[in-house]
Amino acid sequence: MTDVTNKARGLPKGRLNILFGLTLFALLLLLWVILGFATNSFWTGNNISNLLRQGSMTAILAIGQTFVIITGGIDLSVGAIVGFTSVIVSLFLQWGLPIWAAVVLTLLFGVAIGLFHGFGIVRMGLPPFIITLATLTSLRGIGLLITNGATISITNDEFTAFSRANFLGVPSLFWMVIMVAVPAYILLNHSRWGRYLFAVGSNAEAARLSGVNVPRIIYMAYVLSALFASFVGLLLAARIGIGNATQAEGWELQAIASSVIGGTSLFGAIGSVHGPLLGAFILATINNGANLLNVNSFWQRIVTGVLIIVIVYFDQLRRRRG
Amino acid sequence: MTASIPDATTLGRPRGTSGVPILELRGLEKRYVGTHALKPATLAFEAGEIHAIVGENGAGKSTLIKLLTGVIPRTSGEIFWEGRPVGLATPHEAIDLGINAVHQEVVLCRHLTVAANMFLGEETSRFGLLQHRAMVREAQRTLDDLGFDLPAHVLLGDLTIGQQQLIAAARAATRGTRFLIFDEPTAYLTRREAAQLFALIRRLEAEGVTIVYISHRMEEVFELATRVSILRDGTLVGTRRIGETDEADLIALMINRSIEQIYHKDKYTPGKPILETRGLSGPGFEDVSITVREGEIVGLYGLIGAGRSEFVTTVFGRHKRTAGEVLWDGRPVTIRSEAEAIELGIALAPESRRDQGLCLNLPVGLNLNLPVYTKLAPTGLISARQEAERADRQIAGLRIKTPGRATLASSLSGGNQQKIVIGKWLNHGAKLFIFDEPTVGVDVGTKAEIYRLFSELLSKGAGIILISSYLPEVYELADTLHVFRRGRLVSSHGYHAATHEDILTRAIGV
Repeated sequence: MTDVTNKARGLPKGRLNILFGLTLFALLLLLWVILGFATNSFWTGNNISNLLRQGSMTAILAIGQTFVIITGGIDLSVGAIVGFTSVIVSLFLQWGLPIWAAVVLTLLFGVAIGLFHGFGIVRMGLPPFIITLATLTSLRGIGLLITNGATISITNDEFTAFSRANFLGVPSLFWMVIMVAVPAYILLNHSRWGRYLFAVGSNAEAARLSGVNVPRIIYMAYVLSALFASFVGLLLAARIGIGNATQAEGWELQAIASSVIGGTSLFGAIGSVHGPLLGAFILATINNGANLLNVNSFWQRIVTGVLIIVIVYFDQLRRRRG
Repeated sequence: MTASIPDATTLGRPRGTSGVPILELRGLEKRYVGTHALKPATLAFEAGEIHAIVGENGAGKSTLIKLLTGVIPRTSGEIFWEGRPVGLATPHEAIDLGINAVHQEVVLCRHLTVAANMFLGEETSRFGLLQHRAMVREAQRTLDDLGFDLPAHVLLGDLTIGQQQLIAAARAATRGTRFLIFDEPTAYLTRREAAQLFALIRRLEAEGVTIVYISHRMEEVFELATRVSILRDGTLVGTRRIGETDEADLIALMINRSIEQIYHKDKYTPGKPILETRGLSGPGFEDVSITVREGEIVGLYGLIGAGRSEFVTTVFGRHKRTAGEVLWDGRPVTIRSEAEAIELGIALAPESRRDQGLCLNLPVGLNLNLPVYTKLAPTGLISARQEAERADRQIAGLRIKTPGRATLASSLSGGNQQKIVIGKWLNHGAKLFIFDEPTVGVDVGTKAEIYRLFSELLSKGAGIILISSYLPEVYELADTLHVFRRGRLVSSHGYHAATHEDILTRAIGV
């Protein structure tokens, strides 16, 4: 018996997660209050809409990433998938496909990429880091090859209008986060596959010997991550009105950072849906606030790095001490 | 609580003087929030003795070791090293004094060579460069000297767990150790390895090293120790000279329960066969034919690595069979995955809790429910209430000591963890239960509870395959006992139909 174990007995895990979620939420509110005092433009409808749009795409990526990280893996390819699928959907629209068909086909591409990751990990025995690193670089290459390095403009106004639209006063992009997060929450916390995700991340052999189809769960995690990423590709294409394979550079790191800030453990078996959501919007707020305060964008990167260290450090302290 | 009268006469005497205990605890105590892990204990270890410590899991043995090796701080009390009070606040301080421990699970680097492990932290170097060959030579000399037939140049991970344990012991023994703690060192050792370890311990004793020996195996305690201390529920209930006590006495002190009550066995008339294997072969075993009937315990005995675990995991669909047949309820079946085996009605409680049995950093409740989620949530969606009820029922039924179902499995004691590994299958409705080393590292009290569970399962018409490397266990419990040696089934015996010696001889193959 050590201090760790005994303190852990004091409070059930679930309650701690909620507490941590509340702390993050408090941090987010604090940032908003501070920015409200420090700037005149933060609490304007325009800026808030902008902030929600900025955070939305990272948030969706981060949820998918969290599924993968819970199994003890990592998906480095999500940024590349976003860029690649933005090209794909632009092409489909250029060919004159109806929007629904372009969307469905693009999402199927995402599923295929996820299946390929699962195949590499389960069948070829490659570490997740390697297989997703490989697709990270090749997807960008394929995207550039298809377009010969050019940018494809989207002329379908109906498609691009979606990203600027509001519903009940809230940007449609943010509604997309909710549309992804609610089923994701149910899957992770109220379905048997969610339990299996945690079990696989905690001890794959024990899960297997308990009758869990471990390969299927791994496939599921990577397919969801790639599917969410291709969905973000659609949103990005709609928002900027172009398809370009070099878009979304470094978004995989944003997604991983959001997930980790949200309390996901890179060792697997610990994570939630609300965590990465809060993480993504905290990062978005910092970027947004820095812009408003006219802080050099180089500083934003440094601040983000420092924040990751501080938040994760305190998260670990909390886990250790209860 | 400190001792009220410091014994002034023992202070400041030169080291080595007879009569001065090498290590003395006075009112040593450890409290955690909500738990009194070790109640004030006063105990003197005499220089050069082998002092056994026995007690059930959770009795405070681990706490005591951690206090003595400086891993955790004490709440109150004093520790005297050769008459001088010491802090023992860090592991480093303990090592500097010459206090070392060999743990049940090997904590060394599997990817380094045996030699590198033995010198880890005190490598020989010249101009800052490691002297690889010199270290291997030196390590090999030490191993040969100790009579261990082990190579120093191979990677530690290439050795068996038992051999790694011997390396860990050798490493601890060669570091100027004066006080060495062994925590259940023989749990994973073969008989021969255990004999080598005992030789090492005797040798250390002859060199004047004080040994603390923690074990659940009574015969080892009586074979090695000069004195034995008994812990129960965090209380040091007594210390005995080994000549003045016996097994029954110690067990009574540990658990207040007599020895006959431990190996609990009810006889049931075997019904029809549940599982039959005919000439089954797979990775690590060949040509094994056994039958398990309703209401019957089939014991598989053999040395570690004899192919028993490989046999049962193959039956369970973990590995592919290469030849032979499996019959379930008299019909030939092909079991391609664990899920298919479970579907048929087979349950397996694997050998290693840590590696195969538990999701340690997940809640107790999730661990208990893991095999039944398909039934609990046929549509995929889980009813939180049902899930909680089911977990709570299991926890209560198995008397698992935990603050609740949301507690992480890692914070439970070994015995309670084992109850989860076994318990998660009990309400699954399986017909055949395979228990692979179900009582390794489990205390006597929990053992008795596990054996009672066996009886309960048998009474409901289930069949059991019991694998154990501990002969008395399979001998007392199995209706049919099969002996494995090097992947083959070498002999089969009815209940108590052969002597211990007979069975051992078959298993070792002399």
